[in-house]
Amino acid sequence: MAETKDVLMLAVGIGEAMLGNGAEIFRVEDTVLRIINAYHIESYDIYVLTNCIFATANETRPDAVSIVRHVPLGTTHLGRIAALNQLTRDICTEDYPVAAAMERLEECKCIPFAKRGSQVFFCGLGCGCYAFLFGGSGFDAVSGFFIGLLLQLFCDCLKHSKASKFVVNIFGSALVTFAAVLLPWLGAPVLYDKIIIGCIMPLVPGIALTTSIRDFFNGDYLCGTIRMIDALLTSFCIAVGVGSVITVCRILSGGALL
Amino acid sequence: MFLQFLVCVFASISFAVLFAAPKSELVYCGLAGAGAWVVYLGLLSLGCTSAVSDMAACFSLTVIARLLAAVRRNPATVYLISGIFPLVPGAGIYYTSYSLIMNNMADFSANGISTLKTAGALVLGIIFGSAIPQSWFNALGSLRKQT
Repeated sequence: MAETKDVLMLAVGIGEAMLGNGAEIFRVEDTVLRIINAYHIESYDIYVLTNCIFATANETRPDAVSIVRHVPLGTTHLGRIAALNQLTRDICTEDYPVAAAMERLEECKCIPFAKRGSQVFFCGLGCGCYAFLFGGSGFDAVSGFFIGLLLQLFCDCLKHSKASKFVVNIFGSALVTFAAVLLPWLGAPVLYDKIIIGCIMPLVPGIALTTSIRDFFNGDYLCGTIRMIDALLTSFCIAVGVGSVITVCRILSGGALL
Repeated sequence: MFLQFLVCVFASISFAVLFAAPKSELVYCGLAGAGAWVVYLGLLSLGCTSAVSDMAACFSLTVIARLLAAVRRNPATVYLISGIFPLVPGAGIYYTSYSLIMNNMADFSANGISTLKTAGALVLGIIFGSAIPQSWFNALGSLRKQT
């Protein structure tokens, strides 16, 4: 039988990786519990919050272990979540050595994001498609595509300089609005509001909202509240970014524009 | 309608790439999102209000995501997250802040309330979708294993 400490390190390590990549609380909790059970540890307790994990095992015995991990809110990476899920399934169905599982955990943590170029391209494609879906014309979709490219490049730059999420959201949506308002001013036959709606989609807190609801549904009111506040603040930032640019444009053009 | 479906497949796939979904699941993410969008448009054209259509679309998205999760052996989140973006009230956020800036309080409250209603409808859709017992989906998953 494996050492209690190694097992708990593995279980919490997997839980930490899942949480950091944007999994829901109940999935993290469930995963950690399953792994601990798979290695036949009988007395344990775990508690997972949106940004930390507490776990103890075999409290009353000499090999008692407890682990606390702080997990900063990270970017969502669905591929890593899926890979960690598969790893957990393997651990639970077969007799998996702890050391081998640790190695696979490290591999899962290193699954890369899409290449920078393709991220920029797909952000543009997504923005263009949404501009079309929300009632824009073909021309709006094409403009949305290019503004989307611009947005992703801009967000990348800001993230490299470690700007806070609020700054990224405010300036990102301001940039989108500015570019979209500029087009009709230059004489292009576009509906600028459809372009703006399409292009703020990458910033809109869809994930935070969904995850928050699912946390509430599973009875994690604290975690649900944290995510919900995150979602509300993000949408507030987007509104500020869009609104300030529109106001400035109106003042500059004396109300003629827009 | 078919064009909308196709565009929505691409839109969902692009967002799935941004959130680094596994490459093998990209097509399914696209289909899940587009399926929900078609449900939404279909109900709207039948004369349902947008809140009802949103709820039904979100419900079907959750069911589709959980079905795919059972059959493809992946977490449901993968499909749910990439598919929910067409339904999220991004337009509502924009129009609400726009009418606030324009000092048009009537539009502001109408848009604000409809945004809240949309978010609430999404909540209910996910909740109803999550309320279906997991064992039904597991049964479907094992059915596929046998064949």
